[in-house]
Amino acid sequence: MLSFCTFVLFFLSLSGLLHAKSSDGDSVLVVVEEAHKKDFTIFFDSLKEQGYELTFRAPKDETPVVAEHDVPSFAHIIILASESKNFAKDITPQSLVELLSGGTNLLLALSTKQTALSSLAAEFSLILPPPSTPLVSFFPERKDPLTVIPVPAPASSLILSPKLAPVWFSGAPHALGNNPFLVPILRAPAESFAADTDSGADALVDATEKGGEGFWAGSQLSVATGFQALGGARVTWVGGVDLFSDKFAKKEVSKGVKSGNTQFARDVAAWTFQESLVLRIDSTTHHLANTTTPLEQYTTNDNIEFSAHISRFNPKKSTWEPYSGIKDMQLEFTMLDPHIRTALLPVPGSPGKYSVTFRAPDRHGVFKFVIDYKRKGWTHLHSSTTVALVPPRHDGYPRFLSAAWPYYAGAISTSVGFFLFSAAWLAGESREKKAKAKAQ
Amino acid sequence: MPPKPAPAAAAPSSAVQTLWKAYNEQTSDRLKFIDAFLVFLMFSGIVQFAYCVLITTFPYNAFLSGFGSTVGQFVLTASLRSQVNPENKNEFKEVSPERAFADFALGSIVLHFFVFNFLG
Repeated sequence: MLSFCTFVLFFLSLSGLLHAKSSDGDSVLVVVEEAHKKDFTIFFDSLKEQGYELTFRAPKDETPVVAEHDVPSFAHIIILASESKNFAKDITPQSLVELLSGGTNLLLALSTKQTALSSLAAEFSLILPPPSTPLVSFFPERKDPLTVIPVPAPASSLILSPKLAPVWFSGAPHALGNNPFLVPILRAPAESFAADTDSGADALVDATEKGGEGFWAGSQLSVATGFQALGGARVTWVGGVDLFSDKFAKKEVSKGVKSGNTQFARDVAAWTFQESLVLRIDSTTHHLANTTTPLEQYTTNDNIEFSAHISRFNPKKSTWEPYSGIKDMQLEFTMLDPHIRTALLPVPGSPGKYSVTFRAPDRHGVFKFVIDYKRKGWTHLHSSTTVALVPPRHDGYPRFLSAAWPYYAGAISTSVGFFLFSAAWLAGESREKKAKAKAQ
Repeated sequence: MPPKPAPAAAAPSSAVQTLWKAYNEQTSDRLKFIDAFLVFLMFSGIVQFAYCVLITTFPYNAFLSGFGSTVGQFVLTASLRSQVNPENKNEFKEVSPERAFADFALGSIVLHFFVFNFLG
């Protein structure tokens, strides 16, 4: 028994030492051909360094399975076997979509060949060029083949590190559909185009004759694209598996300048595996302005204060920290339609707190406080709290209004008049009696 | 021949004067006193109605009770007047002036009870 306890304690201390960098879990399944495993050692080592537990599996292996009894076995899955036509029967486009809706993050590499993954890419609104047409560029002038291209990193990007050196790329580009959940990560260079390697410049001539129709070219194409599902899980599509390879990581962009591939792979993995740009709503509260207890129902025209506490994941300390950096969040007070939509701004001086006070509409019914914050790259925030908005109780209306004073005065003067009239009437009667008595 | 304007203008004014004179001479003090109260109630009602039409009906319950109190009081007082008028003696043979006043007082008290309940 004692030995069992020490065993458990040992494991607890061990897990404490390992830094869990992801907000979502550390287990990663890497699907890669046994022969190509050694091509990606720099990428895999950097992941291990971050504290991920990598499990390798060849595409045709039956075990370890991606999901057991519909429960995902891994927090993240990397598929670098882009050339494989056949996967084991548990890795299909359907099962990957199911995993994604179950919260598993995916890092998928495409290739110029037509595979199951390229048909899945179409479901994510990525439009791939015809098979066997890799991205080709004649610029900048270099000794490498036309299909090996240094792609400059964007000047500003949420996902990528700033001042990233150009990234070597070789593979198929893709155009982006109008799906709002797509997050472009790396665009193709403006001079590049997708073409058959044999034809090369001929493709340009053909395209010019057709007026550019059906020509896959320019910076509208993307070589790496993220997608964030409604459930919060993230997928990253990369056009070619070589981007992660040791060969490209070590290859110099120009004399003495290392390529950005290592850092790019690290940044992309950090975003995909829920390390960077991860937010959550810790709590929301609502109460009448100037009070602190939340009510189940409010009265029409009440002044209501709504506040939300939002945290951001800090991968360096692997903790959630209050985050006040959101400037464009909105709160909606909704009954079917938003009756009120107002800015929910950070409260200066209290980190992570966002608060707004507003007057409830003059309309009774069942309302919801709704936060629906969706920004490209960031975790989608959604929160909905239902409250009833009721009309005032029979004694809840204001009384003795100044506007009604003429009416009050009228009623009171009538009563006083009646009282004086009755008194005078009765007095007159007694006087008459006296007069009659005197007369007799 | 043009009509003489002076007698035409003088005739209505003299008619009003005659009416006023006859009223002053032939009406008992008691009925005059009732009439004074009726005139007061009428003006009070007119003022409240004008306020309601010209300025605000809000709060409507206050208007209803204020205006209703003047109208109700007017009706009760008018019926008191007709019952105590000696000329209507044949109409109200079984109603003595004391009984008429008691009815008037009871009716008014009930009216004011409802008015003040409804006023606030």
